[in-house]
Amino acid sequence: MVDEKKLQDKAKETLIRDDVRRLIGWKRSTYGYEAAPAVLTDASQADQLIFDPTCVQNLASFISLEEKKPVARGAEPDTRKIAVMVKGCDSRAIVQQLVEKAYSRDDVVVLGIPCMGVIDRRKAEKLFGETAGQVSAKVDKEKVAVDIEGDVKTVDRKDILMDKCLRCRYPNPLVSDFLLGEEVEKWADDDFADVDDFEKMSPEEKWKHWDEQFSKCIRCYSCKSVCPMCYCVECVVTQLKPQWTRRSTDISENTAYHIQRAWHLAGRCIECMECQRVCPVDIPIMTLNRKMTRDVKEMFDYEPGVDPEGEPMLASYNPQDPEDYIM
Amino acid sequence: MTEEYEPNIVAFLCNWCSYAGADLAGTSRTHYLPNVKIIRVMCSGRVNPLFIVNALQQGADGVLISGCHPGDCHYLEGNFFARRRFMLMRKLLEHVGVDPGRVNMSWVSASEGAKFKDVVDDVVAKAKEAGPMDQFRRRQINW
Amino acid sequence: MAENYRPKIGVYVCHCGINIGSVVDVPAVVEYASKLPGVAVSREYTYMCSDPGQNLIKEDIEKEELNRVIVASCSPRMHEPTFRKTLKEAGINPYFLEMANIREQCSWVHEDRDEATEKAKKLIEASVAKALLLEALEEKEVDVIPSCLIIGAGIAGIQAALDIAEAGFKVYLVEKTPSVGGHMAQLDKTFPTLDCSACILTPKMVDVANHPNIELMTYSQLEEISGYVGNFKAKIRKKARYVNFDTCTGCGVCAENCRLAGRIPSEFDEFIGMRGAIYLPFPQAVPAKYTIDPQRCLQLTKGKCGKEGPACVEACGPGCIDFEQEDEIVEIECGTVIVATGYDVFDCRRKPEYGWEENANVMTGLEFERLVSASGPTGGKPILGRDKKGEGGYEPKKVAFIHCVGSRDKSVGNEYCSRVCCMYLAKQAHLIRDKLPEAEITVFYMDVRAFGKGFEEFYDRVRREGIRYVRGNPSEIYRKGDDHTMVIKVEDTLTGTPLEYEADLVVLGVGLEPRSDIREIIDLFKLSQSTDGFFLEAHPKLRPVDTASDGVFLAGCCQGPKDIPDTVAQAKGAASSALILMAYGKVKVEAQVSVVNPDECRGCGFCVEVCPFGAIELVDENRMGNIVKVALVNEALCKGCGSCAAACLSGAIQPRSFKDEQILPQIAVLGVKP
Repeated sequence: MVDEKKLQDKAKETLIRDDVRRLIGWKRSTYGYEAAPAVLTDASQADQLIFDPTCVQNLASFISLEEKKPVARGAEPDTRKIAVMVKGCDSRAIVQQLVEKAYSRDDVVVLGIPCMGVIDRRKAEKLFGETAGQVSAKVDKEKVAVDIEGDVKTVDRKDILMDKCLRCRYPNPLVSDFLLGEEVEKWADDDFADVDDFEKMSPEEKWKHWDEQFSKCIRCYSCKSVCPMCYCVECVVTQLKPQWTRRSTDISENTAYHIQRAWHLAGRCIECMECQRVCPVDIPIMTLNRKMTRDVKEMFDYEPGVDPEGEPMLASYNPQDPEDYIM
Repeated sequence: MTEEYEPNIVAFLCNWCSYAGADLAGTSRTHYLPNVKIIRVMCSGRVNPLFIVNALQQGADGVLISGCHPGDCHYLEGNFFARRRFMLMRKLLEHVGVDPGRVNMSWVSASEGAKFKDVVDDVVAKAKEAGPMDQFRRRQINW
Repeated sequence: MAENYRPKIGVYVCHCGINIGSVVDVPAVVEYASKLPGVAVSREYTYMCSDPGQNLIKEDIEKEELNRVIVASCSPRMHEPTFRKTLKEAGINPYFLEMANIREQCSWVHEDRDEATEKAKKLIEASVAKALLLEALEEKEVDVIPSCLIIGAGIAGIQAALDIAEAGFKVYLVEKTPSVGGHMAQLDKTFPTLDCSACILTPKMVDVANHPNIELMTYSQLEEISGYVGNFKAKIRKKARYVNFDTCTGCGVCAENCRLAGRIPSEFDEFIGMRGAIYLPFPQAVPAKYTIDPQRCLQLTKGKCGKEGPACVEACGPGCIDFEQEDEIVEIECGTVIVATGYDVFDCRRKPEYGWEENANVMTGLEFERLVSASGPTGGKPILGRDKKGEGGYEPKKVAFIHCVGSRDKSVGNEYCSRVCCMYLAKQAHLIRDKLPEAEITVFYMDVRAFGKGFEEFYDRVRREGIRYVRGNPSEIYRKGDDHTMVIKVEDTLTGTPLEYEADLVVLGVGLEPRSDIREIIDLFKLSQSTDGFFLEAHPKLRPVDTASDGVFLAGCCQGPKDIPDTVAQAKGAASSALILMAYGKVKVEAQVSVVNPDECRGCGFCVEVCPFGAIELVDENRMGNIVKVALVNEALCKGCGSCAAACLSGAIQPRSFKDEQILPQIAVLGVKP
């Protein structure tokens, strides 16, 4: 477990530094199963920072957003560092952003947190119902104790943690300047059984599934907004010249949008599952990303977000790449 | 059962090998099916995989990307990148439920006019088997 | 200019005699095209490519103020340049042309008149859709600096340098070792004519040193190269020789007095002969200037040489030796580059079963050349096993030659044939027969490839000199007992009999391999390798001396194994290619290059990684007060393949004439069913 006192002290120490502009961490939200992001500029604010299994949001998304802010005419751009707290999975986003030169390593201070899993809001709501109360939680090697306004409920990890946690291969940050807490032991693995299962379906069944799912999409673009890897100045899906997808939310444009989104994350998605978490209409978006992740690993022996010195998958090749269907 | 229909195929051919190979098929009067319509690009590496999605959306029943054989790319490496991209895009479309027979890739050199005909016949046959592509065809809006 | 206004398109449908007209209903197509958006004129003609056909277009451009032209005829690979010229002559930008290929890809391949006509309509419609979005492009020329940088001064580099210098252009000839000459200087005789290698090479070596147009830089290495065809900038490191180059007379007194004289294995003699720490690689070396080996010299490594100080300093009359000398960096500009870095011979340590490393009487073909060379350590006498003083030793009585060591051998990763081994082994067998008429000589071969001029005749002659050829690839070579007898285990594959053949000299016909440091040149020039590891030429048949980098040419074995005449021929080819650019003095750069929208670029560098020509770099851009990195295309390097555009996630980089916004309308037309 992470000692919150130590975490807050480290945050204070970091915020006091002259070369740090702000720190992004988590704070207790006013209600619900998910903690809120906290963007701090002053050491006095550090007391509100927390880390527990409600800290599900991937804060790495904020780093690239930060870069885009315009500077007032005549003012000097603020080039001080951004400090950010990351879990193991979140840290892969930073690694991948570094591979893609979104910023340089010197631009960030990474406060890494070894993590034993975070709560899936949807699973929690199924178990305990929606809540307007404040929630905190604790996790150990088997159980998760959820405290809803003082009412403590204990459940098996597998019943409440995010799916990504149940197959987590990187519980400890892959990149960090300071590690908050002891490294934890890896306790799960990923066999991509979900992808295999999905693939057992016939093309007609698959399309039936996606026809239903994509029909629900309202194209709010939450999935791309929250994604730490989506940080183009202007996304191709909203460009008008050329217009790849029209703005109408019919099955044709929705499908094209979701394929585009999955394609642009092929070999880049680091599986933080933020897209699926924020989807207001519960589309299982990760199913597409997971398929890409599995195939990229299988066909090209590539895994995004693990090697900051690595080459981008689609900007590299191996002369021996598979080509079994090419005539 | 799918009724007999004539599939419409959009093909992206690299200028140096496959487009020249298709030209050779013409020069040697090799007859093939008219279902395939060709768009010329300089290199198979130019073909953005999203072109495929767009073609399927526009109403194409199948697509073909054709380039130089590996190692023969006029631009040295373009076809290697193309191969990676299309192997993957095909898998993605398959996962969404698009019949994999609709997404085709071939290596046709400038001397392989006969092979180009075989490729066309094959692509058309596969698209026929898959039936008309109406899964996510774009709706034509008449204002 | 009309170009800036709303598109006004002219569509010209060609009958091509009856080639198109007999299958496609041309009038129907013309009628269809006339109703397409933006089309002002739609016409047909028997032969659009003829003068009257082209005049038709020119007149319409003038009268109707057309600003886009579509020619529906044959393949653009055939007549695109023709019609581009027509547009240019009529005063509009040649890139406002789009062709619809309704002959090769329509009338010639389809029989059904209706189907072919429908397809022709669609193809023209797609061309119109693209033409609406075409842009004017500028054709540029850049000046070519009239000088050539040649890397490597073996026979390839020497020949290319002499040709270019003779034509009146400046040459910078850079050689890594202290002398020019390369591998050819090491050879004794050359096959099949048995010319003395040194005799034919040394005059050329002297010529490159003396030619007023050649700046020879020996003991130097290319450190950095930037720029593009016509305008390269190179940094060359002239390594310190610790000997004053200008005053050294090459008298050699220093080397005689060196405390390490005769104690350091000589590279030139393939380590079977000896030299000192200050040395001339070989007597005919050019330039005849001494060099101190900084890795071996006692003064340079230990700071101390004997009690009285360095003997060479003492001995040198003109006082040339300067232990304080430092490397010098020379910057040059050149318009063209020829890479002639040569080869390494196969390292026999990768075939330990042949026992080369342990046994002095198992030697490579190149070591054998030095052994039998009159300028070699034994003065050309085939004597083995001499002591350190050069005394004693024996003449071999049974000599074996082994073909294909490190060539045609997947187990060492070399699938290719090295092309020279069959013949040099035949030559060496002949040489040893000459020197040792009584010796028993056997050659073990897989195949004998005597493909060149005079090769088969020579091979035939050698066989008639009582040299036995046994077909079989030895599995093992080992020492028998304490004397120098080697046992060769081999199966005679013609009779199927296993043999254990004994010999007291075994010569391994080692193959040619890419330079072990080939990576350095690859990284400097962004060159590619073929599967065998040698440099990849631009086209295996039609552009064998060009590379994918314009203005960079290949000569000699760095492109693949070849013999001396082939090397010289390629060197002359490379020289001619470089001269074409320099003689004209200008070079056209591709107009259909990629262009970056810096406002949309996210600076991820995917395009930089993908570009096979190194044409893209990331540069600083001020975006709303923030300094961000964005891609920038060097138009002189870009070839317009467009791979960058497919890798770009935001669509910020696009190849001109093949932009997303130009291709998508084509898809939209062709995707929709008739």
